[in-house]
Amino acid sequence: MARDGTGVESLYPFLYSGGSNLEDVLDQVRRSTVDKAAEIVELRRLTVHRDAARLADCARAMARSFLGGGRLFAFGNGGSSTDAQAVATTFLHPRPGGRPLPALSLTDDVAVVTALANDVGFDVVFARQLAAFGRPGDIAVGLSTSGNSDNLVRAFEEASRRGLLTIGLAGYEGGKMAELDTIDYLFVVPSSSVHRIQEAQTTVYHVLWELTQVALEASDSS
Amino acid sequence: MRQRLSETLQAAAADALEQRVKPVEALAGDAEQVAAACHAMAIRFHRGGKLVCFGSGGPSTDAQHIAVEFVHPVIVGKRALPAISLTGDVATLTSIASREGYAEVYAHQLRYLAAPEDIALGVSVDGNDPAVLRGLEAAAELGMLTIALVGGDGGGTAGSAAVHHALVARSDDPLVVKEVHVTAYHVLWELVHVLFEQPGVLDPEVIR
Repeated sequence: MARDGTGVESLYPFLYSGGSNLEDVLDQVRRSTVDKAAEIVELRRLTVHRDAARLADCARAMARSFLGGGRLFAFGNGGSSTDAQAVATTFLHPRPGGRPLPALSLTDDVAVVTALANDVGFDVVFARQLAAFGRPGDIAVGLSTSGNSDNLVRAFEEASRRGLLTIGLAGYEGGKMAELDTIDYLFVVPSSSVHRIQEAQTTVYHVLWELTQVALEASDSS
Repeated sequence: MRQRLSETLQAAAADALEQRVKPVEALAGDAEQVAAACHAMAIRFHRGGKLVCFGSGGPSTDAQHIAVEFVHPVIVGKRALPAISLTGDVATLTSIASREGYAEVYAHQLRYLAAPEDIALGVSVDGNDPAVLRGLEAAAELGMLTIALVGGDGGGTAGSAAVHHALVARSDDPLVVKEVHVTAYHVLWELVHVLFEQPGVLDPEVIR
């Protein structure tokens, strides 16, 4: 997980000016909650509006992959590893009414992850699993806030070489992931707050799930 | 046909976006409860307590996310605070589920891994997960501070006497609830640190 250079001090100058009393601090805390809610609503709007056509294209490509027997592999580090697991369970055991689809997270098997990290290096923990599991027509979804994780770069190289549909979620300006030609669909959340990036990325993969379900229904009826 | 599907999908994306606005605004409307929960958590950390998180299904990933958030902050220079998730030990989790029943998976672990000064944080998209509710009840019995992140109408968890602070994401869609929860726990983390670093606000004489 990337680190944010912005200090809390710069966001709450009032709090760092010396002594403080509880009511003033709690008032700041309440206002900060309101500000952050407004911020994430706006960031989601920006992200989804800007990428609406590509989200639709990506969902259609995912639906085609699943219809052809493809499986989804998700991966990420730190907080993004929990998103990888959330992606997998959203597709595999969806909310009531959803169609279950084959998906797994490459972050779950601690034996495999620590074996690869210890014997080869942390850069290969996802790439090696994709080499073992991935088949042409499968889907690789990698999540990073910075876009700079080396093990994601390696994973996308491996997935692309093997003919997987590759999808990346990043923040800031996309980092190294924005420079790769191995990612078919890259969605960048334009923010420098790790927290807001993660919140908007959650929406991106939820929307991709929803649109994939709609595309699969459409293919049933055509 | 291709064109029509693309338009349908883009309309679905726009619709999904709209469904997320009101529940986030509702979180802002609950700023008072958020502040109260942060203050209570900061007091517990200040006294040496740790945060113990749990949730089933999708929320299990949130429990792990919250733990890593506190242990390894994304903002450089913020101190690590002790937090664990009860969803990571699959051996124990499946063993309890198999022998004592699924509802006991968190309550059992809390009884042996947690202490009275700790904080229990249970996550459930509808507030009706029996394991999360049993966990919060066991935590309250131990004397822990109990916080619930729930959704929908809050279910049986929000109304439980064992829950000291309930934050309810106002949506019936579990995906939207999760998104509000992610914002809620990011805010909790950040504001706990704001309070934690304030001289005086956690002293016994100002704690209500």
